[in-house]
Amino acid sequence: MSMLSVRGVTKRFGGVTAVDDVSFEVFEGTIHAVIGPNGAGKSTAFNVMTGFDRPDAGSVVFEGATITGMRPHRIVRLGVVRTFQNTMLFDEMTALENVLVGMHARTRVGFLGAALSLPGVHAEERLAREQAHRILRLVDMDDVHAVPAGDLPHGQRRLLEIARALATEPRIMLLDEPAAGLNNVETAQLGETLRRIRDTGVTVVIVEHDMGLVMEVSDEIVVLNEGRKIAEGPPLLIQKDPAVIEAYLGEETPDA
Amino acid sequence: MRSSIRAAVIVALTIGVAITPFVMTDRYILRILTFVGINLIMVAGLSLLFGYAGQISLGQAAFYGLGAYTSGYLAKAGVPWLLALVGGVAVAAIGGLLIALPSLRLKGHYLAMATLGFGEIMLFFFTETESVTGGSNGLRGIPAASIGPLEFATPVAKYFLVWSVVGIVLVLAANIVRRRPGRALRAIHGSETGAQACGIDTVRVKIQVFVLSAGLGGLAGVLYAHYVGFVSPSTFTLHYSLILVTMVALGGMGSLGGAVAGTVLLTLLPYVDAIIPGLPRSTVELIQDWTNDIYGMVLILVMLFMPRGLAGWATSLVTRFGERDRAGDSVGQGGGA
Repeated sequence: MSMLSVRGVTKRFGGVTAVDDVSFEVFEGTIHAVIGPNGAGKSTAFNVMTGFDRPDAGSVVFEGATITGMRPHRIVRLGVVRTFQNTMLFDEMTALENVLVGMHARTRVGFLGAALSLPGVHAEERLAREQAHRILRLVDMDDVHAVPAGDLPHGQRRLLEIARALATEPRIMLLDEPAAGLNNVETAQLGETLRRIRDTGVTVVIVEHDMGLVMEVSDEIVVLNEGRKIAEGPPLLIQKDPAVIEAYLGEETPDA
Repeated sequence: MRSSIRAAVIVALTIGVAITPFVMTDRYILRILTFVGINLIMVAGLSLLFGYAGQISLGQAAFYGLGAYTSGYLAKAGVPWLLALVGGVAVAAIGGLLIALPSLRLKGHYLAMATLGFGEIMLFFFTETESVTGGSNGLRGIPAASIGPLEFATPVAKYFLVWSVVGIVLVLAANIVRRRPGRALRAIHGSETGAQACGIDTVRVKIQVFVLSAGLGGLAGVLYAHYVGFVSPSTFTLHYSLILVTMVALGGMGSLGGAVAGTVLLTLLPYVDAIIPGLPRSTVELIQDWTNDIYGMVLILVMLFMPRGLAGWATSLVTRFGERDRAGDSVGQGGGA
């Protein structure tokens, strides 16, 4: 059974249909890519899948429960987390604090408890900090834990957003163009990180333009064009699909 | 800032506050310092709302007024002070809830306008509901604070009452900002979308901080009413709300310690002659005549040239003196006072 299914999702903005009756299934333990030319509706699909946009039709089902229409934080608590094409980090906060915010849904201390230092507050804070350091080590960033996110170089900002997403203890991660702006070395490292994340049992969905990365890491690919799904399948089939080549890969070599 | 420096500053300030009434026999100065304490409670609330969560409020004076009038009215009706205090805080907190709900959809200038409007409406309300508030003549003869047989009637007793509350409020607020809820506030300030993507219920947290900030405003109002014994609408103006915003901005967004420093400096400004006795008469007059202009200029200059306020300045100073910079650590950087 699939972990996440997108069922007939349509999303319009005014007269533009950004996503048009798109359906696909994401299976547990895989890396699933969503590709397509600019304006194909990839990010809108992500927004619908994570509660940041409501679809005009269709639904998104995660582990048997319909999540369409839920507010984003509820969806995060169920185990569906995302990153953004333009990173949405907290620039004034340190790398460590960014990751700690990611743990918000998995920790409990509220205003009253924190203010009064009620029993358990110290223990939770200490455990959260230890866990945050562990997550930063996972993306090899613990040495910059005290640096404000706004002062980090672009590549590390991308990684930090992934680390923050991991801190929510997701079952599935949706990464919106994680390789955008990364150099070749960083992209290769990102591919490694994605595989490592998958191997810890977290399912990964990426929207990505870097075809080298997509073809290398994906188990399954969905191709969107002008809001519609035009193909889906494993990388080798997608590379040979005439509709895909025409819509998207015709102008660029697949491993550009 | 290194925690050892911070601890030393906090201990020194606490001792200073505690011994002041014994070395300072001048009642006028005690009175000024008591007002510093009342403003600190107001600013602690605004710092959480504006400095940390980034939600501007130009209507804090309304909560101050709600607390002051409610508690003053109840105490005059014979309600024990502690109950009147709870009533004042509760009414102000409810006011905060009422303004929070419509404000959830508003940001930046629009939120500023909405809270400003709320403040003006409440000011009108205080003036017009004469049977309760005494209208523009104010509410007179509010009894001094008392807990059972213990009455806070002398200036020294009032000073200690207010500053005890200040101490409690600042400790509780500092506990909030360095833990999970404080991080949620700063996350909302940084990126509301990002905060939602981290599983933060931004609607809930914003309502909580609005209510908390209003409640603290009400608490300050209660202390004010029973300190002065008289409240009138002229205290709860937009002018006061703007000064509070200036105090937070001068201190530095996202720094409680900075906000404390900003509050102390700006509250003392018009009383500079009492604090620094040797100043020439002409200088004092100049400062007093131009107090409001100085507030306005401080706000503009800080926004332009010192966006991180006194706290940012203190942090860079400490860094320069070879301390390891614990970047992003935002609590208690206000050594400037």
